[in-house]
Amino acid sequence: MSLLDLSRWQFAVTVMFHMTFPAITVGLSILLSVVYGMYWRTRNPVLLQVFRFWRRIFAVGFAIGVVAGAVVTFEMGMNWGQYGARTGAIIGPIIGMEVVTAFFVEAGFIGVLLYGDGRVKERTMFIATVMVSVGTLLSSTWIIAANSWMQTPAGYDLVDGYFEPVDWWRIIFNPSFIWRWPHMVVAVLISASFFVAGISAWYLRRGRALEFARRSLSVALGIAAVLMPLQLFLGDSVSGAVLGTQLSKLEAIEGNWEGGNTGFVLFAIPDQQAEANIAQLDIPCLGSFIAKDLTCQTGVPGLSMTDAADRPDMAATFWGFRSMFLAAVLMFALAFTATVLRFRDRLWTAYRFHRVLLWTTPAGILAILGGWVTAEAGRQPWVVFGLLRTDDAVSHLAPGAVLFSVAGFIVLYVVMLAAYVAYIVHCVRVGPERDDPRLLVDPVHAADHEVAR
Amino acid sequence: MMPTLWFCVVLLCFLMYLVLDGYDLGLGIATLLERRPDRRRDMVEVVAVAWDGNETWLILLGVSLWAGFPAAFGTLLPHVYLPLVVMLFGLIVRGVSVEMASQRPESSGWVSAFGWASLVTAGAQGFALGALGSPVETTSRAPTWFAVVCAVLLALVHIAAGYAHAVRKFTGELQASAAARGRTSLIAGAVLFVAVVSTMQATAAPLDLATPARAAAFTGLLLFTVAGVVTAVVAFGTASRSVVAEKVPSVALAVSVVAGVLALLAAHYPTVGAGFDLASAAGPHNTMTFLLVGVGLNIPLVLGYNLFAHHAFRGKAERHGHLPTGHPSPEGRRVNEHEATH
Repeated sequence: MSLLDLSRWQFAVTVMFHMTFPAITVGLSILLSVVYGMYWRTRNPVLLQVFRFWRRIFAVGFAIGVVAGAVVTFEMGMNWGQYGARTGAIIGPIIGMEVVTAFFVEAGFIGVLLYGDGRVKERTMFIATVMVSVGTLLSSTWIIAANSWMQTPAGYDLVDGYFEPVDWWRIIFNPSFIWRWPHMVVAVLISASFFVAGISAWYLRRGRALEFARRSLSVALGIAAVLMPLQLFLGDSVSGAVLGTQLSKLEAIEGNWEGGNTGFVLFAIPDQQAEANIAQLDIPCLGSFIAKDLTCQTGVPGLSMTDAADRPDMAATFWGFRSMFLAAVLMFALAFTATVLRFRDRLWTAYRFHRVLLWTTPAGILAILGGWVTAEAGRQPWVVFGLLRTDDAVSHLAPGAVLFSVAGFIVLYVVMLAAYVAYIVHCVRVGPERDDPRLLVDPVHAADHEVAR
Repeated sequence: MMPTLWFCVVLLCFLMYLVLDGYDLGLGIATLLERRPDRRRDMVEVVAVAWDGNETWLILLGVSLWAGFPAAFGTLLPHVYLPLVVMLFGLIVRGVSVEMASQRPESSGWVSAFGWASLVTAGAQGFALGALGSPVETTSRAPTWFAVVCAVLLALVHIAAGYAHAVRKFTGELQASAAARGRTSLIAGAVLFVAVVSTMQATAAPLDLATPARAAAFTGLLLFTVAGVVTAVVAFGTASRSVVAEKVPSVALAVSVVAGVLALLAAHYPTVGAGFDLASAAGPHNTMTFLLVGVGLNIPLVLGYNLFAHHAFRGKAERHGHLPTGHPSPEGRRVNEHEATH
């Protein structure tokens, strides 16, 4: 394995680990704002219970997201020093805007959101909660702007291999940003919805905390029902933009080597060296239908049309896209079923449906990770599409040092992920009963404080 | 002109980070020296409400260096790769364990993890700063011991800052022991600082005091450092006397840290570590304008958020007010009544 491979693996591991947490917490922070706002107006104690329970899950996820995000920022200089130096004049200021308009806002108000309940006025609590969700949304905006610029660079000047900004408006609102930004925001809302729905379904199956569980499930599936159809449209628009700007990525997504296949490749094991698929399963004509030609005439392009030196790895791009796409189809079906059940007044008693929901708790998160694999692996071998190659972007570090850091990150992240999952399971088992404001005594903490003294 | 102005922003981030995360790293290390579990948890709670805001200065430091001086960012960071990796490991464990410890008070393992991670983070940062004092292409092992001494120095300064903060946050026995330990670590840190400055001539980043202006700036700033240290050492002893007195050690310490950094900078400027020269590493004009307007104008707001966060949790850390479950406590509400107006 070369230095480049090690550096790429490290980045893939650290950035995917990081992304898992915003995929939960951005949506949860918006849910928290809505629920606290409703509580503030109605004084319904169940809403405060909903707020407090999901805040527990949010708190630790947010912290991990913050520290794992710091890792990615530093890697831009540590592992990708050439990238850092060559694109810094453009990407640096965008991330700088993220830090001052998002990170500091979140950091300033997160303390009040997490620990201010009962210590500050309700209005302050509400403002703090809203500010945190505004921060998380702004953060996504700047990150998507920076990443989209790497996909479809615009408004720059290239001087001796160093990018210089010419038009900031075109840099930020670059061609792919327009579609990728709503696509990402809707994605994090959906992933949080399925996360909340899965855990709420568990309580319904157990017959526990029913009032809390119904309220949470209702909000989550309502959001999913509205956003899933929208997301299918947005995702299709993103693909349309990729076709126009990053043809090699689209070729890899489609899974064909030769152009002209009118079918949709459902399953493939690509062999990059042989420029052929070892195994392949097609749905006839679907490729043409997706290209909005119902006569089954329009073929999709194949990866052989791109120079061998400029091809992305088909397996990673193809399967990244398939995981996102299949998870999205599944979630669409679930959101549709939930809506039907709701109109028939059977949503609270459909226990088999609850079991399916429990199993699809991470579906949205996996779809987001698959989407990022598609976007990043499909951009290869470029780091700035068409202009800066990934192997020209890497720092010339001692391979041993990178091996040490890759191994360290993997071990640390496995432990942290296990701890977070264990924490969620613990919170769910203990349950939202302790968060009910109608209970005056908190049995868990009261017992704990007796021990401490 | 613009690169210099932007360098001031980078410097501000560095100083803010050093002072703010200094106390919470220090409090983290201090938990290792505390045996009683309830006290250790009280210390974690004090960090839990503030660490995120403090650590964001580190991210802004990294990003403002990247945006304004891309070439320096891409050269300096690989140069100190291993210490930075270790620092990131420390920061990850720290961030996770502080939230875990405050969400699940029944498990003491996270508190220990938090303490050790704080120590590792502080040490790695000190080591990285020391290593930046050596040129990029180096084969000699000489800078290594210098970096180790810097690591110990930074940890000691942070511990002293942590105890100075503890003096403000706690009362009674815990306050008294924090004051005593704070004083000891500060004196040890001061001795090590003298050692570091006097051996700097032998490293690749010697002090340049050739012109009278430089020498004057260096000496003047160093006097502030000395005054700050002396004040803090004395104030640790009298901290329990009044509400004002208990704030003196942390303020004096912050002044001496800031003055110490500026003194060292005055003796090196415009070369800042590993031969990185401000003017030649600066980004293009268009970037600088965007940064100064877009990011620079946000800096006062950012300071405002920081102030808000510290203000909301000002005063003594009382066990019951800090429960994450947050049941309305009448005392807590009374103490912080007027903050809703902010």
